[in-house]
Amino acid sequence: MNRIDQLFQNKQKDILSIYFPAGYPKLEDTLPTLQLLQDKGVDLVEIGIPFSDPLADGPVIQSAAKQALDNGMSLQLLFNQLKDVRKSITIPLILMGYWNTVYKFGVDAFLTECQNVGIDGVILPDLPLEEYQEEYKEKFEAAGVHNVLLVTPQTTDKRLTIIEKAASGFLYMVSTAATTGGALQASKEREAYFKKIAGLDIPSLIGFGIHDKTSFQHAASFSNGAIIGTAFIKALEKGNAAEFLESLQ
Amino acid sequence: MKIKVCGLKYSKNIKELLQLPIDYAGFIFYPKSPRYVGDEFDTEIPALFPKNTRKVGVFVNEELDVLLATGEKYKLNAMQLHGGESAEYCQKVKEAGFEVIKAFQMNDNFQFESLEEYENICDFFLFDTKTENYGGSGRKFNWKLLENYKGSIPFFLSGGIGAQDAEQIKQLSHDKFYALDLNSGFELQPAKKNANQLEIFLNKLELNTMNKDKYAVDERGYYGEFGGAYIPELLRKNVDELQENYLKILASEQFKKDYARLLDNYVGRPTPLTKAGNLSKRYGTNIYLKREDLTHTGAHKINNTIGQILLAKYMGKKRIIAETGAGQHGVATATVCALFGLECVVYMGALDVKRQAPNVARMKMLGAKVVPAISGNQTLKDATNEAIRDWIANPESFYLIGSVVGPHPYPDLVTRLQSIISEEIREQLAKETGNPNPNYVIACVGGGSNAAGAFYHYLNEKDVNLVAVEASGLGVDSGETAATITIGDIGFIHGSKTMLMQDEDGQITEPYSISAGLDYPGVGPLHAHLAVSGRAQFLSATDEEALNAAKVLAESEGIIPALESSHALAILEKMQFKKDDVVVVNLSGRGDKDMETYMKHFA
Repeated sequence: MNRIDQLFQNKQKDILSIYFPAGYPKLEDTLPTLQLLQDKGVDLVEIGIPFSDPLADGPVIQSAAKQALDNGMSLQLLFNQLKDVRKSITIPLILMGYWNTVYKFGVDAFLTECQNVGIDGVILPDLPLEEYQEEYKEKFEAAGVHNVLLVTPQTTDKRLTIIEKAASGFLYMVSTAATTGGALQASKEREAYFKKIAGLDIPSLIGFGIHDKTSFQHAASFSNGAIIGTAFIKALEKGNAAEFLESLQ
Repeated sequence: MKIKVCGLKYSKNIKELLQLPIDYAGFIFYPKSPRYVGDEFDTEIPALFPKNTRKVGVFVNEELDVLLATGEKYKLNAMQLHGGESAEYCQKVKEAGFEVIKAFQMNDNFQFESLEEYENICDFFLFDTKTENYGGSGRKFNWKLLENYKGSIPFFLSGGIGAQDAEQIKQLSHDKFYALDLNSGFELQPAKKNANQLEIFLNKLELNTMNKDKYAVDERGYYGEFGGAYIPELLRKNVDELQENYLKILASEQFKKDYARLLDNYVGRPTPLTKAGNLSKRYGTNIYLKREDLTHTGAHKINNTIGQILLAKYMGKKRIIAETGAGQHGVATATVCALFGLECVVYMGALDVKRQAPNVARMKMLGAKVVPAISGNQTLKDATNEAIRDWIANPESFYLIGSVVGPHPYPDLVTRLQSIISEEIREQLAKETGNPNPNYVIACVGGGSNAAGAFYHYLNEKDVNLVAVEASGLGVDSGETAATITIGDIGFIHGSKTMLMQDEDGQITEPYSISAGLDYPGVGPLHAHLAVSGRAQFLSATDEEALNAAKVLAESEGIIPALESSHALAILEKMQFKKDDVVVVNLSGRGDKDMETYMKHFA
């Protein structure tokens, strides 16, 4: 069974997912960071594939991605680094990146590598749902790799119906109209949106703007859990990732 | 007018039809129909049609789960419900993600009010002739009845349409008439279509425009395999809003009036078509220059910003976002924002802000806020990323893009707004030479907006050679180049599938050209399609060649061209023309902004 499905079967509340870019801050940090995240009780990890032009990301993730690229990170190198990851890491792993990188790598080769190293899902924000369904869905399903879809406060009800039907794994619920790394402000509209998504038949995690224990708990009260990216990258940069993860407990 | 061909079944027959402009392909899953596809219909058969042909399943009072499973199995896009299906049933089909075409059977007693409950659910209606057996009669109904249809849903016209009906169809003027449904009138035997007869008929309707439409964008924003809207869900609503509105607004009388008036008395159009006598002698042919350099703000960019600012105004937008490289589009945007009293934020790579100080000052004087983009390499590509990020965070703003790039509908929108260039060339050439068509149209390409505008009305004129000139910087193999088509490969940038400069890992690389307006690592998807299909010839000119061409034009014609346009001029040296050829070079902008560079090189 796919580890993402297993996770949501065993745990419905307060799921903590952490995002960090591969090869950051140092090229060889990918595996040690994964080990730390697992040791500190993180439920799910999203490994960022660094890209030169990350449209949906704010300044912190952009510059982390750039640093990773300057370090020499690439998608092939990431798969090499992850070759034996399943000897030690048992939590579900997701690769998050932009479509150009995957397309250039070759979709079939990418999925084969995902299967080989034990990747459970991908998040590809700029691959449109329609193209995915027509061209790639069968391949992803055959490889047992979930394509996690995003919903946003701007997503219309009509589109939400389509996304719900096409979704696999869980829904990535973007908290607010912004790129990553903003602050999450509470509002009635936002809560109504969270509740609407939580009412769907598929689990959901809230991301964008979650940066500490308070915002995590707030977000997690409306969903199955939440995703932290920018705040964790800042902690990696400062060298206090372990303390940051403990502060979320 | 769209074309649906219904009652298809045989793969060999379908292959004969693939050259025809079929928008909807219908497969009948109603066992009592003589065109029933059968129990063991191969799932590969509907897939023979290209992606932009919608696959329609036709059902009569089918069990919902059977219908949905069939839809899934054959990857159908739309469901045509041809029996007495209720509005509730239609709703469920719609919710499952299919387009819904609800069929109704017409006779003199048909009550159009009965359609009301379907209005908010269905995508289309289909009006067929009333029979005992759910259509398939081969007879037409009285089309006068359509006058009684006042609803808002577009409809397919069906029922016994044959080769003899072309003239009558051309006369149909109902504003909700959307598509023709063709079936038994074009058959050799049930489910086997007569490809020749269809082709002749579609020709009569002037629809068999494979040549004509080959270079037009399809409904999903593709030119051949390029284009589309590869955007994060965060931008979906903004882009959908624009997709839904742009054609409607561009076609409205009000827009046409306002746009024409501003082009005339603000931009200074039409721009002249100048016969360059000395240049013609030099190259032994007849060279004409389309003088976009004489527009207000000094380049073709303003044709686009005038159009988009009107679009923004009609859509009720108050805040305008733009990206700029050299600053020409930024200035053109700041100009129209000042004219319309709208807030203007221009993103410009921090490096470009330093390199293009005069244009930064112009934008500021026009009241725009110039935000330096400090991400990435701090040039146009990064400015575009920042502008898109701003749009994500401020979905109520209008993103006024400067070239034929970005997610659908931008490439098509900007192409249409720039098409005034070739519209005028045609008229001016007809007057000058008696023939609207030249032998060559030559234009420089970065993103490709001036070339798209100069090519547009010639795309289907096979006799007109289209020549696009990219900037090869220090040379195509030097590593310091912007010749995307020449050295790039297929990829995705700023929401569009196109040709792109990238490394082996799919990281987008930084282009180089002496001309800031041409150093973009992608190219508009229309141009990628023109290059791959061979419709346009893509050449390149180096920094050096462009500089020399600028000097030649200045000295021989008394015109100082922009560095971008100089690349188009440079190609004249490399091409062979006949004495009687008519060659149009699009002089996209004037050289004032480049004086510093010229001074440095010609001092």
